[in-house]
Amino acid sequence: MMTSDSELRMALVQAQTRRHFLRTIGGGLGTLFVGTSMAKYAGATKDAGHSETSSLDFTRDASSPLAALPPQFAAKVRRVIYLHMAGAPSQLELFEYKPDLKRLDGQDCPASFLAGKRFAFISGVPKLLASQYPFHQVGQSGQWISDRLPYLEKHVDAICFIKSMHTDQFNHAPAQLLVQTGNARLGYASIGSWVLYGLGTENQNLPGFIVLLSGGKSPDGGKQLWSSGFLPSVYQGVQCRSHGEPVLYLDNPPEVSRSLRRSMLDAIDQINQQTYAAFGNPETVTRIAQYEMAFRMQMDATDAMDIRKEPDSVHAMYGSKPGEASFANNCLVARRLAERGVRFIQLYHWGWDSHGADAKEALNLGFADRCREVDQPTAALLADLKERGMLEDTLVVWGGEFGRTPMRENRNGQEMKYVGRDHNPGAFTIWLSGGGVKPGITHGQTDEMGYEIVKDPVEIRDLHATMLYLLGFDHHKLNYSFQGLEQKLTSVKPARIVTEVLA
Amino acid sequence: MTVWGRRVSGPLRLGVLALVPILIVLVLLLVFPPDGNERAEWAQFIGRFHPLAVHFPIALILLVPILELAGLNSRSAHLRLSAGFVLGLATIGATVAAMLGWCLALSGGYSGPLLTQHMWGGISLAAVCWLCWMLRASANEPRLGLLYATALATGVVLVAWTGYRGGQLSKGEDHLTEYMPAGLRHSLGISNASRAVSSSRANTFYGARVEPIFAERCFTCHGPSKHQANLRLDSYKSLMRGGKDGPVIRAANVQGSDLFRRIALPPGHDDFMPKEGKRPLSSDQVKVIELWIGAGASDTLPADAIKDAPAASASPTLVAEVNFGEIDPVAVTKRRATAAPALAQLQKRFPNILEYESRGSADLLLNASILGPKFGDSDLAVLSPLAEQITVADFSRTAITDRSATAIAAMKRLRVLRFMYTRITDTTLQGLGALDQLESLSVFGTPVTPAALPTVAKLPKLAHFYAGQTAIPIGISVPDALMGKLVF
Repeated sequence: MMTSDSELRMALVQAQTRRHFLRTIGGGLGTLFVGTSMAKYAGATKDAGHSETSSLDFTRDASSPLAALPPQFAAKVRRVIYLHMAGAPSQLELFEYKPDLKRLDGQDCPASFLAGKRFAFISGVPKLLASQYPFHQVGQSGQWISDRLPYLEKHVDAICFIKSMHTDQFNHAPAQLLVQTGNARLGYASIGSWVLYGLGTENQNLPGFIVLLSGGKSPDGGKQLWSSGFLPSVYQGVQCRSHGEPVLYLDNPPEVSRSLRRSMLDAIDQINQQTYAAFGNPETVTRIAQYEMAFRMQMDATDAMDIRKEPDSVHAMYGSKPGEASFANNCLVARRLAERGVRFIQLYHWGWDSHGADAKEALNLGFADRCREVDQPTAALLADLKERGMLEDTLVVWGGEFGRTPMRENRNGQEMKYVGRDHNPGAFTIWLSGGGVKPGITHGQTDEMGYEIVKDPVEIRDLHATMLYLLGFDHHKLNYSFQGLEQKLTSVKPARIVTEVLA
Repeated sequence: MTVWGRRVSGPLRLGVLALVPILIVLVLLLVFPPDGNERAEWAQFIGRFHPLAVHFPIALILLVPILELAGLNSRSAHLRLSAGFVLGLATIGATVAAMLGWCLALSGGYSGPLLTQHMWGGISLAAVCWLCWMLRASANEPRLGLLYATALATGVVLVAWTGYRGGQLSKGEDHLTEYMPAGLRHSLGISNASRAVSSSRANTFYGARVEPIFAERCFTCHGPSKHQANLRLDSYKSLMRGGKDGPVIRAANVQGSDLFRRIALPPGHDDFMPKEGKRPLSSDQVKVIELWIGAGASDTLPADAIKDAPAASASPTLVAEVNFGEIDPVAVTKRRATAAPALAQLQKRFPNILEYESRGSADLLLNASILGPKFGDSDLAVLSPLAEQITVADFSRTAITDRSATAIAAMKRLRVLRFMYTRITDTTLQGLGALDQLESLSVFGTPVTPAALPTVAKLPKLAHFYAGQTAIPIGISVPDALMGKLVF
């Protein structure tokens, strides 16, 4: 009969597998070699935080994996607010003014549009569909914009439109994954995770990467969209709710005081530290850090997410109503989080998938509602950041995962009751605003129908490389060794920083 | 040591050993011939020494007949004694140069007939040197003397020929004749095609519109210094000759022209040119090339012959690509040295909010707003040793007051300064007159009044003054220096 103590020791010995042994001894020998042969370089490289390898040094003290690190080069922006319009809004109803398409409204689509193309729903020969809304020119930059965005149009001179975005995915989930993680498959790290990994966060009482959802439905890509992939999971996005407890189960249960919670956490920490000492699994550190952050967050997160503290004038500006799960509330929360040093704030607003299969998906019905939901808060967010001087070092990104066809969707070859458009990965519009971005310009151009790019195509990875550049990184150097590859947000295909949009 | 049953002498024994590397290079050339693909950093790094190393054996080989001929005179007969040694050196040098040349050719993306000739010239030269060396070592047999002289003469011819091919590879095919005077050129019967194009470049569509595009976007890899895929676009002749896969331009057949196909592909495509994330040709440039090929791809077509060609932009809109410099760790450490001890100490007190601006910078960013009301005048005072290193400071929502005015004014290199929702007043702002680097100042939500404007107006670099929710009314008339800089 073993005592519990010897039982524990036995378990520990058994847990030490052949793999652990080999890993430890391999690492040990390697360290010995590096320690002796590299000793003379150590002094020079350590202080500069620079390593001779092709990757930068992102190592941090195990107890503070989210510690702030300087970027590789002087950054233009220090935080990102990414407004992802899940479902892919139609660029032809918002930013792409195509008079020729209006002229050809209702005519059969030319055969060249269909050759070799795959569509989600279009079959047979669809009809061309003019924009459902009138366009006009606004701002000093004279941008064309539809009448659906009356608030946002006041800010066009602060916006840089990229009308030649290109993707190779035509279904929502993989396309969203591509936009958010640089890869259409599961298991890759999201932009926010990369940024948090690279820069850490200044405010250790809040997650550095926060995700807010609205529109009544999660994006198709699900939680993978803010996953840390192969990066340590401490860098994954934390989904917060815009009403009630910001993070579920964050508050102490009734009868549990903060000091009792503290001593409980101390005991758990101790055990976790022992486990980490024994096995050295970085996920254990993540666990410890998450517990600690949750404890600190109990105070600060609740305060940051509580928009009731904002004056009525601000609510009027955003159109926000405390207690709702709305895009307006989330935009206001985004500004509050940005003020509190959160590095990457990711919003998703679902409902842009305007196929025309029902009223909610109709370009002349549901789409107009979506526009109303996002127009005022987006404009308010830009105005708020601008008047505080924060737009200087914040990057705001707005866009979906692909574009929509200039052809009217004809599901099963039939004319549908409502008006809609199918998915078009060939061209879509994303806009940027903020530090380091040239304001009041349009980059790229599509053909007369808004169907294909004719000038300056921008791949998703080019957008990512540009975003990382604005944050102070060469996208090649922000990498992480995994499965024998130095993994990057921009993946393995060559990516180009879109210098034309840089201020 | 015995070879073919005969006991061989000292130099011959060395010679047999020297044959081994020559044979190795020969095998490498046969098994791994250069194929025009760029690869392997190391091989290319080593290979780049080929042009450097190659001149050594050239000089030595040319020296041998000089020594031999000069030594015929009995007064300088001693010179002949060194010829054998020089030959030995030349053999080794030629072998090393051939080895480096193979590295360069295989990994540097070279290929084509020029290269093949140069390559076989080089390896043959090493072999001929070896042969001369061996023959000379046994030149006491008279019948071998003639053979030696012949081999040496062959070696000299080979040096000239291989060297010329090498020059053509690196400097261009007509590098010797390019600037030959017209009279001499005429009497020697050498055509001057490439010069003709450049002299009439402004008049022809090719010279005025097409070649400049190649020069701007393609020459780096397919021009005078590099001929990847054995394709050169720096003369009309070589352009029309094409590359390793044959012609790249088929006159009047746009779709059949590989050059057009590649520049018109989507940029992510494997065959797309320019490669490796280099900026694609602009749509206007693609159009010009398309129209030119469609019109027959001639080099005599007048510049204005194609009516609907996109207008040539007055100044080519070159978009600078981002070049990331390397961070020099030693220089960075040096720049940071003075303030480093103070910073290390203060970073313990203010973790995560006091950091270098970048990995290569000694400038500091301070974000005290994260601490909010927990950061006050006394905390700010502690930062004084770093005052001149801080270039961005955010004090929003902190408890600082006008008592910190001097401490902030001492941060002379500030570019960005934020006081949102603090209790600072005009007093602090009036003390900022010396901040001649300040570009952005935010006093949003503070009790600042128009009395601060004269000082603010004098800040030479200020671009934005964020004065919302202060006592400064919207639409106030401001000093000229502040026009367009006030943001509400």
